[in-house]
Amino acid sequence: MKPGKQILSIVLVVAVFAAFNFGMYQLLTRRLSNNFSGATKAQMIDVKSYLPHEEGSDLPELESTLKLTDNLPILDGAAALVPVYAAVIHNVYPEGCVTYQGGTFSDDNFYGENFAEDSAMQYKNTVRGYQAIVDGTTDILFCAGPSEEQKQYAEEQGVELVYVPIGLEGFVFFVNENNPVDNLTAEQIRKIYAAEYTNWAEVGGVNRIINPVTRLKGSGSQTAFEAFMGETEIGHKSPLAVLGASIGFSFRYYMDGIVENEAVKMLSLNSVYPSAENIQNGSYPIVAQFYAIYRADNENENIPVLIDWLLSEEGQTLIEKTGYVRLQQK
Amino acid sequence: MKSRTFYILLFSVLGLCLALTVAHFLYVIYAYQHCSIIYFIGKELWL
Repeated sequence: MKPGKQILSIVLVVAVFAAFNFGMYQLLTRRLSNNFSGATKAQMIDVKSYLPHEEGSDLPELESTLKLTDNLPILDGAAALVPVYAAVIHNVYPEGCVTYQGGTFSDDNFYGENFAEDSAMQYKNTVRGYQAIVDGTTDILFCAGPSEEQKQYAEEQGVELVYVPIGLEGFVFFVNENNPVDNLTAEQIRKIYAAEYTNWAEVGGVNRIINPVTRLKGSGSQTAFEAFMGETEIGHKSPLAVLGASIGFSFRYYMDGIVENEAVKMLSLNSVYPSAENIQNGSYPIVAQFYAIYRADNENENIPVLIDWLLSEEGQTLIEKTGYVRLQQK
Repeated sequence: MKSRTFYILLFSVLGLCLALTVAHFLYVIYAYQHCSIIYFIGKELWL
């Protein structure tokens, strides 16, 4: 082979691989900003915005008649409920009860936050939070309902957990803002996740593969999703689906009030949009309770005091002020 | 360039490109399992 053709061959090989990798980067890699490190942009939640007793935090103020001074229950919870339990600490707990390893807040470690062991506020999110409540390192966990595995873990450890519903939240499905589909029925969504519908054209959209995205097993939204699917089995999607147009799920306030990503939109379900009003009046079809969870054998006398307060008019007002939906009508 | 040298060079480049592509694939598989799906869906390509 002539030298010119030899060089051309080598350049061609490099160009083919470069083009392939560039295509994969555009379609996938650039979208995979992770949330397993506090140093990345797409954290599950920006905890720094919800630090109690800190200037500039986004927590609501309330004239609370309950003020705890000692035996403070340690509060922990899911990402979506950080604003709720941080607001409780902000309005009911004394200043100085939230402490950090090294003295000041930092979110630059593996899990993102550096709450000290004795801090009244922790953030372990759902999966580690359930372990913490069972193991006794947290007093009250603010979470969606438990998965079967989480219930089983508590049983295996011989721990009885008490689940107290303290608020309501809509379970929502969302797509990219450019996806022309705005509304689906619950049945259509079940069929999408069962892999019976594989193309958006089958549900009134464009001719593009559907990529039904699920979440981490044991997370609050995945558990709620499995409850939504009921007896319908989740189907196996084609490996090519990852290149298609996705549908995902979450809780309304996490989407709308915390992450606030304008590049995605929530879908109406059975023609009802998941607004706070539609969740409370019961017209939105998938409403989940969220809970304050504690060990039945926990002897901290302030736990029932705090739970009663959360269910009172003041507590429910605080839940509403954080953007969630109260249990009972005013 | 001698034929033998050319093929050694060609297969070396091919091997390197293949290794980098496999590494890219493995990263995508790992990161997909841990990524924020809201961000993932928000960054979807729509032409």
